[in-house]
Amino acid sequence: MKKLLVVDDEVEICEFLKAFFEERDYEVLTARSGPEALEAVDNFQPHVILLDIFMPGGLDGLAVLKRIKDRYPNIKVIMVTALETREKIEEAMRFGADNYITKPLSLEYLEKDVQEKIEVLSGNR
Amino acid sequence: MFERRPKKINYQTVLRDVARSMVRLKRPERLLKLITRYIDRELGLSHTSLVVLEETRDRFIFVDSKGSRRVPIGLIKFEMNHPLVLWFRAEKGKELKCEDFLQRSLLAKGLANGRLKMLVPERRQLYEKVKKAMDDLKIELAIPGYFKRTLIGLLLLGEKKDRKPFTKSEISFFQTLTQDCSMAVKTAEYHRSLIDKNVELERQLKEIHNLRKKEQETYYEIMRSLAQEVHAKDPLTYGHINDVEYLGLKTAEELGLDLTGRKRDILSAGLILHDVGKIGIPDQVLKKPTGLSGEEREIMKTHVDKGVKILEPLTNFKEVIEIVRTHHENFDGSGYPLGLKGDAIPIEARIVSVVDAFHAIVTSRCYRSNRSVELAFDELKKCSGTQFDPQVVDALIRMVHKEKVRRGSGFFNLFTPS
Repeated sequence: MKKLLVVDDEVEICEFLKAFFEERDYEVLTARSGPEALEAVDNFQPHVILLDIFMPGGLDGLAVLKRIKDRYPNIKVIMVTALETREKIEEAMRFGADNYITKPLSLEYLEKDVQEKIEVLSGNR
Repeated sequence: MFERRPKKINYQTVLRDVARSMVRLKRPERLLKLITRYIDRELGLSHTSLVVLEETRDRFIFVDSKGSRRVPIGLIKFEMNHPLVLWFRAEKGKELKCEDFLQRSLLAKGLANGRLKMLVPERRQLYEKVKKAMDDLKIELAIPGYFKRTLIGLLLLGEKKDRKPFTKSEISFFQTLTQDCSMAVKTAEYHRSLIDKNVELERQLKEIHNLRKKEQETYYEIMRSLAQEVHAKDPLTYGHINDVEYLGLKTAEELGLDLTGRKRDILSAGLILHDVGKIGIPDQVLKKPTGLSGEEREIMKTHVDKGVKILEPLTNFKEVIEIVRTHHENFDGSGYPLGLKGDAIPIEARIVSVVDAFHAIVTSRCYRSNRSVELAFDELKKCSGTQFDPQVVDALIRMVHKEKVRRGSGFFNLFTPS
């Protein structure tokens, strides 16, 4: 089963993406904050993570990204954010993000990208 | 809702009214939301969404979405190559005879029964992509909104609760609504852009006006200091040009002249600038105290025309230029350059003529005293009615007497050398 973790502080976005990917035969878990996300990664072991940058609660998406990549370099992390500054993108890439998608996003592109990440992983195995 | 006839009519009327009123509204976003909320409440579809073209960014974004399968605002965009956008921009679905709307069930049927197999692969591909896009967002019905043949928005509707297909009348109603919404959005945009343009234009006009004013003020300041230079260089007048201005304004008051508004400024400028043309007179002529030859006298007379030419760029100073032009006219018509007579000479010029002469006589004496003032009065009286307007001469003499009483010996400070 393809496992996807969606991290966004907006409930609506989490629920929408969860429903969307579940219909495409993904097992989907959602997290609303940095700490919640880290816990979910440990317990759920997702293949791909969709990770928002701006989240309340002290631990933002970039900090979460760094911790995940330190411990699980194989998990593919796609940043999904409304932030579009050069610095943020460069920082995310330095921390090992596998893609950087800005909101509003093209649903077709997101689906394709997640699918590709899964294919790369299964090819590696 | 559509099953119950009275309710249906009521709801359509309400929505139509809302749509109509939108056309006049400056901020249709709120009414677009009202529409989605209304459809959602009355029809209870799985979702009711509106996407609108963002012209500056070449993409469509969701402005509102309601219902259980609603699309989060700000998450999704349709780029210009999105299948639904491509379809409505170029294809208009003629092959399926569903022009100006797309219904997923019809599309699915068409794809399933092979009617579309005759199409070239690219077109069939588009059909499939459109269907997938509708599946992705749970869209049962998509209605395009056009403005002047440009696709500017889409009304996207999910399934009804009972999963029954939309009826023809429902679809045509949604089409009307979407068209009205498009008109409202565009009208508001146009309205806003007009207001913006107006504001900008007014700002620019104001700026131009201010620049012009500033330019004129600067030019006036330059002329003023030029006039002071000339005045100081003239052997007949040692005093400050401001003294001439002061005496002139006082005389005008004594005459009971109307000095409200610009009139005071005009007289002031005339008193200060009347001899500015002397800047163009050679020093050997200008500085000669007495005994000008006939030729030199003619040269001297040209300062009037020269002054007029120098002041011409001051477009707000038409009246001042007239004063400069006529300040050497004599009351009996014996002056220059035109030989005007009496009232034909502007009153301001008649004042300049008297005040300038008085000031010159008083300041050319080494000792400013009662005696020099009396001498000046004699001189003015002698030429009253010929060179000078008698009324102005009388007014000046009256005014000086009053000032002397008021100021005492301080009066002569008026004529201190600059």
